[in-house]
Amino acid sequence: MEITQFQLDALREIGNIGSGHAATALSTLLQRRIDMSVPKVWAVPFEEVSSIVGQLDTPQAVIYVKVEGEASGKAVFFFPLKSAEIVVQALFGTNAPMDLYMGEMEQSALKEVGNILVSSFLVALTQFSGIPLQPSVPALAVDMIGASLDAIFLEEGVLDDTVLFIDTRITGIPKIEGQFIFLPDDGSLKKLLEAMGV
Amino acid sequence: MNGIITVGMADFKTATAPVLLSTAGLGSCIGICIHDPFLKIGGMAHIMLPTANGSLGGNPAKYADTALELLLREISGMGAIKSRLRAKMAGGAQMFSFPGKPPVLKIGDRNAEAVEQELKKHRIPLLIADVGGSFGRTIHFDVGTGELRIRTINHGEKVV
Repeated sequence: MEITQFQLDALREIGNIGSGHAATALSTLLQRRIDMSVPKVWAVPFEEVSSIVGQLDTPQAVIYVKVEGEASGKAVFFFPLKSAEIVVQALFGTNAPMDLYMGEMEQSALKEVGNILVSSFLVALTQFSGIPLQPSVPALAVDMIGASLDAIFLEEGVLDDTVLFIDTRITGIPKIEGQFIFLPDDGSLKKLLEAMGV
Repeated sequence: MNGIITVGMADFKTATAPVLLSTAGLGSCIGICIHDPFLKIGGMAHIMLPTANGSLGGNPAKYADTALELLLREISGMGAIKSRLRAKMAGGAQMFSFPGKPPVLKIGDRNAEAVEQELKKHRIPLLIADVGGSFGRTIHFDVGTGELRIRTINHGEKVV
């Protein structure tokens, strides 16, 4: 669907409020002050997502949450491996190298962080739209980014042809970057924007 | 040095040796490789779903059935003879699993089955099927030798 700059600005504002919730939760979890902001939200046609994420066989940590409710969809947070490692190290209070591929502790820590980020955004979306949205249990893949994304695209449900990219900046831990995408199911985005009155 | 031609998602390419056809980051998608060893020509398709279901909309290279037809038409136009063709495929993984919820439909498995069936329909032998698992694959197909190099992040690399 077509989406206007005004609507994108509204979504960015919601993203900022969501990231505020997330920052509070992460600060508590990591016992240090974390700030988060959403500098940019943009909508891209579904087919262009893979060209935006860069090299498709670069390994990244991808946290995938299904969004259930009247405006269902899929929420995905992806971390470059280095950032994912730094987050996990901060969580465990160590500088030792982390095994993101196989380590159970590492993986469940990443899922938890992804869960916080995604849930915070959903809470903000619900506040503004009045449409309750529930996140599923998070799933994690640490693998080629292209492989993780194609699996998410193709899993059950009919996606809208528009995907929202929510650029997330995390400060308070050095050198952390991550990106968040929301893939609304067909019709969900329209419903959300209407309910928000934009 | 061989040239490398990249095949995108829902895309297909054919080439004459010496060329490597490559597609990166296959998850539940499948890379189908077709080879005519006599002419040293080959083709690769990166399919996303099993069947177009007769729908005319959308990109035919996205589906196992229609993509294979496109590939065969183009490679025949280059002189390939169907009875000489050989096929290999890789991909069809299941990248995510949700605890307590059995996956309703494993799209990777369904893709692999669909490719197998379509190849059977066209009587093209499938020499290699490196499918399944829960990891991504990047593949390079040498249209001269018919060798398929399969690279993963954490599950090794092999040439088949």
